[in-house]
Amino acid sequence: MRESFTAVLERNRTLAGGFATEPYEVAWAAEARWFVRTLERTGTGALMRVTTQVSPDGLHWCDLDAERELTGDLVTWESSGFGGWLRLKGAVEGEAGGEASAKVMIYLALKS
Amino acid sequence: MSTPASERSLAAELRRADPALSRFNPLDRILVHDEFNTGTHGWIELLGNYDGHGNLDTVDDHMRDFRPPQLSSCNFFDVGTHGAMSGTYALKVATRPVAGHTGVAIRRLTMAGRGRVQFEAYLTFKTEAASEENQAAHKAGAGEWDANLHPSEQQFGAFTIATDICDGVRYHCVARYLNTDLDNRMRREWVYPTVPEPTPREHFEGKLKLPPTADFTAPDPDDWKPFGGPQELCYNEVPTKVNWHYVRWVIDTSTRSNVELQVNDTVYDMRDVPVPPYEEEYGSLGNLLNFYVSVRTHTDVRNFLYLDSVLISVDW
Repeated sequence: MRESFTAVLERNRTLAGGFATEPYEVAWAAEARWFVRTLERTGTGALMRVTTQVSPDGLHWCDLDAERELTGDLVTWESSGFGGWLRLKGAVEGEAGGEASAKVMIYLALKS
Repeated sequence: MSTPASERSLAAELRRADPALSRFNPLDRILVHDEFNTGTHGWIELLGNYDGHGNLDTVDDHMRDFRPPQLSSCNFFDVGTHGAMSGTYALKVATRPVAGHTGVAIRRLTMAGRGRVQFEAYLTFKTEAASEENQAAHKAGAGEWDANLHPSEQQFGAFTIATDICDGVRYHCVARYLNTDLDNRMRREWVYPTVPEPTPREHFEGKLKLPPTADFTAPDPDDWKPFGGPQELCYNEVPTKVNWHYVRWVIDTSTRSNVELQVNDTVYDMRDVPVPPYEEEYGSLGNLLNFYVSVRTHTDVRNFLYLDSVLISVDW
């Protein structure tokens, strides 16, 4: 039987401006899938952009792949080749850099 | 404490022959044997209660962000993968880098009898190593390095082993290792709460409302009292060396009391350490027997509690 674990990294958390999720250890996992559920958006043209990041130690981070825009209420993507640590780095901004926020649930679903 | 072989039962001999069990000293019946090299074994983030619509905004502020546990290979910037005591993985409970933040993992059981219950574990505690991003070397509690005691040790707050039990009367048996006080001064002592834990119902009834970083077990520092005298644990000079500590804690659910706590070579008699019950009755909790572990930071630096393995045994 394979091992699995779903971590809720953010729960009904309102993000505004730049953010990064807490470092999460995934060395045991062969598969990783992100789910971002957006419960609420405020601000004109609120846009949420995220980049999946990896780290050798949970302290120093670099991008795993390209930045993506999250436009739907439930968005998912897979990460692979991630080594020992994963996090999301991103920003929520309005049009022309104006103020905006998004209330989100962020899940990381892992499987050995 | 060891019993001569001639006086040990066949069951005790068989347990002693198993390397995974021989490191423990269980009571008659083993309820739980969790080796985190093989998964999370039912240890899960604690979350406060919420309304009938699944609206998580109704969760109390101080009980909504206790963080998911992690299967950790104890991976560090200087030596890479440290690994656990057995195999590669331990269960890690981590705080955010926010003073007062608490991480909590809980194990939910019920009671098929009353009597002695023993929680045993191999565990260790650490702060997050300093980096440019976390600025730990400049946060409260940081100090001079003398090539022996590491300043980061002053940035570890507390870890707690506790229960949530209900047999009609609801109560918590709690033991906390207070490494530092809220001003990041070394305390290195075991403490217990003199009041029952605040509950979501007390908030619902308008009796109290706690902020996100409140100490959810007992919010007022004056409600924690020391027992047994100070004890220095093995931090091992830097935040990236992991040494496993043996912990054995016995309570008695027939008398709703503490019995004793063993931490490595020290045994504390806890029979006189009081256990404050709730005055109110709580429903939907018949035979509740929960164990939780928590870690709490007293500065803006992540604190970690690692469990290699846990064994819970009973005498019923």
